[in-house]
Amino acid sequence: MKLKKFLALTRAGLIESLQYRLAMFVMVIGNLLYLTVVYFLWKSIYASAGGGTVNGMTFTDTLIYLVLATALFNFMEMYTVWEIGRNIQTGKIVLDLLKPMSYRSYLFWSYSGTFVTQFFATFLPTFIIVALLTHGAVPIGLNLLWFAVSVVLSVVINFSIDFIVGTVCLYTESIWGINIMKQVIVLLLSGATIPLAFFPEGLRKVVDCLPFRSVYDAPLTILLKADPTVGEVLPVIAMQLMWALVMTAAGCIFWRYSLRQITVNGG
Amino acid sequence: MENIIEIKNITKEFRVPDRREGLKGSIKDLFSRRYHTVKAVDDISMEIKQGEIVGYLGPNGAGKSTTIKMMTGVLEPSSGEITVNGCVPYKNRTRNAQNIGVVFGQRSQLWWALPLIESFKLLKDIYMIPDEQYDEMMSLYGSLVDIEPLLHKPVRQMSLGQRTLSDILAAFLHDPKIVFLDEPTIGLDVSMKAKIRTLIAELNRRKNTTVILTTHDMGDVDALCERIVIIDHGKMLYDNDIEHLKKFFGAYRTLKLRVRGDMEQEAQRIAEELPMCSVKTDDNWISVLVNEDEQKVVSVLSQLQNSHDIRDMQLEEISSEEVIKRIYEGGVE
Repeated sequence: MKLKKFLALTRAGLIESLQYRLAMFVMVIGNLLYLTVVYFLWKSIYASAGGGTVNGMTFTDTLIYLVLATALFNFMEMYTVWEIGRNIQTGKIVLDLLKPMSYRSYLFWSYSGTFVTQFFATFLPTFIIVALLTHGAVPIGLNLLWFAVSVVLSVVINFSIDFIVGTVCLYTESIWGINIMKQVIVLLLSGATIPLAFFPEGLRKVVDCLPFRSVYDAPLTILLKADPTVGEVLPVIAMQLMWALVMTAAGCIFWRYSLRQITVNGG
Repeated sequence: MENIIEIKNITKEFRVPDRREGLKGSIKDLFSRRYHTVKAVDDISMEIKQGEIVGYLGPNGAGKSTTIKMMTGVLEPSSGEITVNGCVPYKNRTRNAQNIGVVFGQRSQLWWALPLIESFKLLKDIYMIPDEQYDEMMSLYGSLVDIEPLLHKPVRQMSLGQRTLSDILAAFLHDPKIVFLDEPTIGLDVSMKAKIRTLIAELNRRKNTTVILTTHDMGDVDALCERIVIIDHGKMLYDNDIEHLKKFFGAYRTLKLRVRGDMEQEAQRIAEELPMCSVKTDDNWISVLVNEDEQKVVSVLSQLQNSHDIRDMQLEEISSEEVIKRIYEGGVE
């Protein structure tokens, strides 16, 4: 019964995102442009490195990794920070707070419909193109199943990070800078712009202790492994699960504390 | 009848940073900030019964929205007690949300890109409205307004009037005990205003919904509210029915006269004859403000008829708009 109210929001989000055909089209084009830039950038990096493998990754490996990271980014990016910031600035947040469910759930489920459209509009086509073009460099097998599990956890962690950053907007009342900063940090430290294998040793150790790599690097590592064993996958998933729980809890507590501050001191 | 809202001595203070001037001041502000407190709501108490329509009035910045936000649970009072429908709103915001509906005239809770019917279906699921209740509500709406052409229109294509109407319908959809309407008729044309007033009155009557209405349009108040509450600077100025409001200053009526002869001179003579009343003239009329508690208008008229050649006359009631204006401007003790 409770699930029904959430799924109703998913459905509305789905219909809503389908209303904007042009926006979807532009997004696909923008995506292609970005991938072209990535292609030429890394091609020249490999050319100047003298070809072959760099940091244990071939050109094809790197490209597949980055293309899929971009696809994943397009799929997962929820613009939560924007949404919260805008709601605060326009005061619409008052209306959202007066829905009979927590603001966090309301926000998540309102957006969730877009996951479905994004999956079919960006992730799936990109994945199929990559799989076809590379002639089997992307393994198809049990890894897909693990990948699905991993992506769900990634979505949760990613949303939690966004939600925490969005909560900061309650204090700052500005969005732009915070959002850009968050995006750069997440994309860089999660391995979505540069594969983690290219990071210097020291930085990698730091990154290993942060939640960001569980967002992009974890699902991609699983996806690109042919027939992963349970022993290989489980630590990655366990790590993600841990971060999902920690970040969700942190987000909830921070939000509740902040909202109290706001309701007490006024906003 | 039961009290649905009980407010006892609530006060709300905000901490506002003192901003220093200029670039230097702004930089100083980054490191140390001084605050002063502002009392947005100061010791307000009221009780509202199930089924009442209460007009909540006050000039801009009087503390109306703050009070409403406390009643809905978005803000927590600094002191005092508030219960809505038996529970404390800021402690049970989500539960309280199930029992209230809100319309803020300036924004919409509807889904922008979706046809209205989709928003309704969504609200049905969010508020877990049973099928029968939903169908009953929809047929009630159908009988009150011409809803059919609206249902399949995306909200973003609606006119402001249609959108406001839809928002009001959406707020009543889950049959809440209380609906808060914050300036629902702002920016609407005369016929739309009338439509919306009828709709609110009718929904209040049929569903016995308590309505708290803030507005700057006295037309709304005259059409809908039996009781009004006026606040300014966070303090309660008035809480009673609208009839008493007019007597608040004494029972003033304005007698307007047109007399033969030079208007200015005649006006001066009238002013001498009637020391109790204030007399004004413009190009067409001599206006005599009469306090009926002291002297009846009829006797004033008959007195004047003996000494002046009256060609035409009009009698004006002091409007509630006039009264409110004078309260806002501080003409009340």
